Amino acid sequence: MLKNIQEWSVVLVIVGVIVVLGNWLGFGVMPFEAIPGMLILVLICLAGLFIGKILPFNLPSMIYIAVLGVIVSLPATPGSEYVVHATDQIDMLAITTPVLAFAGIAIGRRWADFRKLGWRVIVVGFCVLSGTFLGSAIIAEIVLQVQGIV
Amino acid sequence: MTRKQEPLEFWKDWRLYFLILCIVLVAELVGPIDFSVGPGVISLLPLLIAFAIGFGLYFTPIIKEKQSKNAQSFVTLSISLLVAKIGGTIGPAIDTIMEVGPALLLQELGNLGTIILALPIAILIGVKREAIGMAPGIGREGSVAIITEKYGFDSPETRGVMSMYVFGTVFGAVFFGVFASFLAAFTPFHPLSLAMASGVGSTSMMAAASGSLIPAFPAYENEIVALAGASNLLTMITGIFVLTFIALPLTLKLYQMFTKRKSPNASSKMDAGE
Repeated sequence: MLKNIQEWSVVLVIVGVIVVLGNWLGFGVMPFEAIPGMLILVLICLAGLFIGKILPFNLPSMIYIAVLGVIVSLPATPGSEYVVHATDQIDMLAITTPVLAFAGIAIGRRWADFRKLGWRVIVVGFCVLSGTFLGSAIIAEIVLQVQGIV
Repeated sequence: MTRKQEPLEFWKDWRLYFLILCIVLVAELVGPIDFSVGPGVISLLPLLIAFAIGFGLYFTPIIKEKQSKNAQSFVTLSISLLVAKIGGTIGPAIDTIMEVGPALLLQELGNLGTIILALPIAILIGVKREAIGMAPGIGREGSVAIITEKYGFDSPETRGVMSMYVFGTVFGAVFFGVFASFLAAFTPFHPLSLAMASGVGSTSMMAAASGSLIPAFPAYENEIVALAGASNLLTMITGIFVLTFIALPLTLKLYQMFTKRKSPNASSKMDAGE
């Protein structure tokens, strides 16, 4: 357990530093302005990962992390104003960039398998995108009509 | 510590950290690159550039097998930062979300439309367990995290969700831009419904979809932007729950149903195909 926390902390802090630097270059936010927000995000992650590890339910830790993120940013939560202001300094896309850099390196090993999927990915991909969009639009349309809004 | 024969624990891979830092800095300096195609705008965001550099480097001696292996472990952990960030954007928007109410909440279930449309087609064209990762959602960060954590990085399910993630990252924005303006022009959907549907994917997909709705319904500009944004926030959070508790179980059930029916000739199809 202790070793896990140590691993998580090292990785999150280092990725956090990379994000802060990318955030500086890509979005013009000075690192010292972004550091408090990044620390808050790292703490939320650590707490969520820890909760996921100790609780007996077989739920992804991501759910605990997401819920914690919502809770600390709700207006009713004491100090949320500061949390929101601090984390606002870090652009979501600045976090996505290192994630995808890791993914790119990792995916390289899987390229042969990925190619085996080939044209099927494109067919299923278009079905997934259009199915999701259409499904959402249809339900929204029905509910809005039932409510008499449109 | 020496249980496996790994020469080094993944988190001590300083070479990988340094490489990622370099990739991120280059990507942020270069991007985003925008160019328009018809009604949509293809935006090469830094994240796409970073992905391309990382992927390209794998085929050079700069990346050793070890770094690539270790990078897998980093994906899940670094995504958790993203999930925390997204969670933190929900709190301040809670009033907006309450206002737009039940329609916005219920349309999240519309994401299940992908299973009905994509899963049978995937199985029909010979995709196997990869379909379980591909069909239950649009395959954004949250889906990748959940599928990867549930099935492990080396599973066919993860390969499926990853391929969908890459597909959506590359084609999502332009596809949604074109698709949304197509629906606006040729279907009787109300602009508010289309605006809510615009939020189903990533932020860049949302921007492309809602952006291309505005020329079609200029009178609704503010509503379109507000609803697409709220829907996007909701999707990011509820998406995780809808996937875990509804979409993934439903996909598994349907997958079993479909594959049982065609099982006699299904087993050898994928391996023999191109």
